[in-house]
Amino acid sequence: MNTPALKVKNLSVWLASGSGRIPVVDGISFSINAGEATGLVGESGCGKTMTAKAIMGQLPVTGIGVSADAIEVEGRDIYKLKAGQKRAVLGRDIAMIFQQPATALDPVFTLGQQISAVYRRHCGGSRRQARQTMLEALRGVGFSQAEDIAGVYPHQLSGGMRQLAMIAMATVCKPAVIIADEPTTALDNSSRALILQQLRQLQTSRQTAILYISHDLSVVRQTCRDVMVMYCGRIMETADCQSLFSHPRHPYSAGLLACIPQLGKTRPAPIRSIPGQVPAAADLPAGCHFAPRCDRAVAQCRESVPELDASGGRGAACFRPL
Amino acid sequence: MNVPTPTDTTALLELRDLCLSFQQRRQLAVDRVSLRITAGRSLGLVGASGSGKSSIARAILRLLEPDSGEILFRGEDMSRMNPRQLKSARQRIQLVFQDPSVSLSPRRTIRQTLLEPLEHFAIGDADYRRGKITRTLQTVGLGKSALERYPHQFSSGQQQRIAIARALVTNPELLIADEAVASLDVSIQAQILQLVQKLQRDFGITFLFISHDLAVIRQIADEVAVLYRGQLLEQSPADRFFSRPAHPYSRILLSYAVGENAPNRNTGQWSLERSRTASANTDKCVFAEFCPDKMAVCGNVEPVLSQLHDESQPVLGPHCVKCHLYDETASDEN
Repeated sequence: MNTPALKVKNLSVWLASGSGRIPVVDGISFSINAGEATGLVGESGCGKTMTAKAIMGQLPVTGIGVSADAIEVEGRDIYKLKAGQKRAVLGRDIAMIFQQPATALDPVFTLGQQISAVYRRHCGGSRRQARQTMLEALRGVGFSQAEDIAGVYPHQLSGGMRQLAMIAMATVCKPAVIIADEPTTALDNSSRALILQQLRQLQTSRQTAILYISHDLSVVRQTCRDVMVMYCGRIMETADCQSLFSHPRHPYSAGLLACIPQLGKTRPAPIRSIPGQVPAAADLPAGCHFAPRCDRAVAQCRESVPELDASGGRGAACFRPL
Repeated sequence: MNVPTPTDTTALLELRDLCLSFQQRRQLAVDRVSLRITAGRSLGLVGASGSGKSSIARAILRLLEPDSGEILFRGEDMSRMNPRQLKSARQRIQLVFQDPSVSLSPRRTIRQTLLEPLEHFAIGDADYRRGKITRTLQTVGLGKSALERYPHQFSSGQQQRIAIARALVTNPELLIADEAVASLDVSIQAQILQLVQKLQRDFGITFLFISHDLAVIRQIADEVAVLYRGQLLEQSPADRFFSRPAHPYSRILLSYAVGENAPNRNTGQWSLERSRTASANTDKCVFAEFCPDKMAVCGNVEPVLSQLHDESQPVLGPHCVKCHLYDETASDEN
C-alpha cells in the first residue's frame, strides 16, 4: 500500500474558555491517497474549517488548542515540525484554497507578482524562472491570455476568475495535497462548473490529493469519490459518494440529503428539512450529539457516544443506523 | 389583506423595455428587459452573477433609477410616480436581501426592526402594531421571546426569518427575494424554502425570486426568466422550462445544474468577461459568441423576444424566447 498523501490521526481542536475546554473538533482521523478527492461535509459551525486550519497550522496561538497524534503529508509528520520547518512545507507540499478569493488575494499586488512570490519563497529560482512557472500555472487553470491576467489586480476580475487565480496560486509549487474550503460557495453555476472541472483535472493530471470542504453534498458528489459527514466536531459517517447518496446509514446524512432541492421535469414534492438546530459548541448534548434532532434516537443514544468504525471503507457513528 | 386567487391572471408587475446603466452609461446592466409577473404566480429570475438580476430588483423599487422603460405595478407606472405614490407602492413591494447579518441592524432589537416599517408607512395604531409584529414572527416560526433580542443572538437561518418577517409586516403583495438563500447552509436553506412555500400557499404572496441556483428555483417558481448579460433570453412556465428549455443558453444552464455537463474551454469563458458597454452594437445575438447552435444570421441580426406558438398543449402563462432558432421563418425545433 502506498503512503497516503495526507493522513490525519486523532485531531482535536478546542477553544479555551474560563470554564474549561469547548470542543470544536473531536478526535477525527482520516487519510487521502494521491490522486483522490475526499469531501468533508457538514453544516456551518460543525468544525470543517477548523479542521482545515488546524492541518494548515493557521489557527491563532492563543485561545485555541490543537492536539493530534500525527498530521502526515506524504508520510512526513508536519504536526511535530518546528515553526520554521513547517513554514517551508505549508504552501509548498500542502496548499489551501479559500472561500473568499477577494479577501485571500492581496489587493495591492498584481496576480503575477503574488503568484511568483509564492513560488520564489518556496522553490527559489530566478525571477525569470518564477515568471515562467507563474504563467504556466495561470495557463494551467484555463487562462489562455496568461500574460494579460498576470498584470491585473484582483479587483479587476470577477469572482470566478479570482477563484481560478487562487487555484493557480495554490498549485504553483505543485503541492501533493490541496485543501479547498468551500471554493465554489460564492460563485454562480457556470463559474462553479469551471472551478470543479479544474480541481478534477489537478487530481487526474498531477495526482494531487484534495480535501474538499463544503456544506453542499451535491457539489461534493460531482468532485469526490469519498465523503465524510461531520456534525458538531465528529465524523458521523464515512463512505464513498455513491453509497452515501443511495443508502445513507447515519440519520444525519439522510437528513442532509433530503434538504437538497431536486431538479426534475415535474415540480418536486415540498422540501424537507432537519428539525431543530445545531447545538452550540459550549452546550453539546451528552451521548450522540445528533440524538436530540434524531427521530430514531433511543435512551442509549443519549447516554453513550457511538464509535465510528470505518474499517472496510464505510461506517456510521450510530447505534441504530439506517 | 388582499389575497389574489391563482386564477387571477392580471399582471401584478410588468416591465417594459427596462434599461439601466452604470458609470455614465458606460456599462449597461439591464438591456431592454420586458417581463410579466402574474398575481399569485411566483417568478424565478436566473442568470450568472453580473447578468443584471439584482439591478432589476433594485430598479423595480427605484432604489436605482432606470435609464428608460416602464415599470408597471398593477398598471401604474412606478417610474413616473411622485414620492407619495412611490411610498405607497413600496409598502406593497418588499425586498429580502441575501445576507441577513448585513441587512439587519445590529443595534436594534427585533421589535424595533419590525416596528420601523409599520411606523414609516403609518400602518395601524400601537395595539395593531404590537399584535401584527407577534403574528408575523409566528408566521416565520419565531416566538415572542425573540422580540427583545438582537440579531447576533440568532443563527443565520433565524436571522433570515427575521428579515423575511420585516418584509412581511407591511402586508406586501409582491416579495422580491434577492438570493435570499444563497448564503445559507443546505439544511437552513431547506427551512427557508419551506417558509416561502408556506407564504405562497397560505397568504398568496407573489414572489420575484432571484437566484443563480436552478434547483432552488424549481422548488418555488411557477415561471422562470433567464437573464444573460442584461438581456432577457427566455421566460417560460416552470414545468415547461425544466422539461424543455427553449433557448440554447437555458439548456446549458440546466445541464450545469444537473451536473451532467462541464463547460468546455470556449463556453466556459463567458463567465470570465461579462461587462458590456452601452454602445455595444445591437446587430447580433448577445449569446452568439458562445452558442452551440449558432447560425449565420445570429452574428448579423439581433433576435426579438417573441412568443412561442407551436404549442402542442396549452400552458399557463407566456413562453417567450429571444432566439433565431424559433423565428417563424426558420424551422421551429433545432
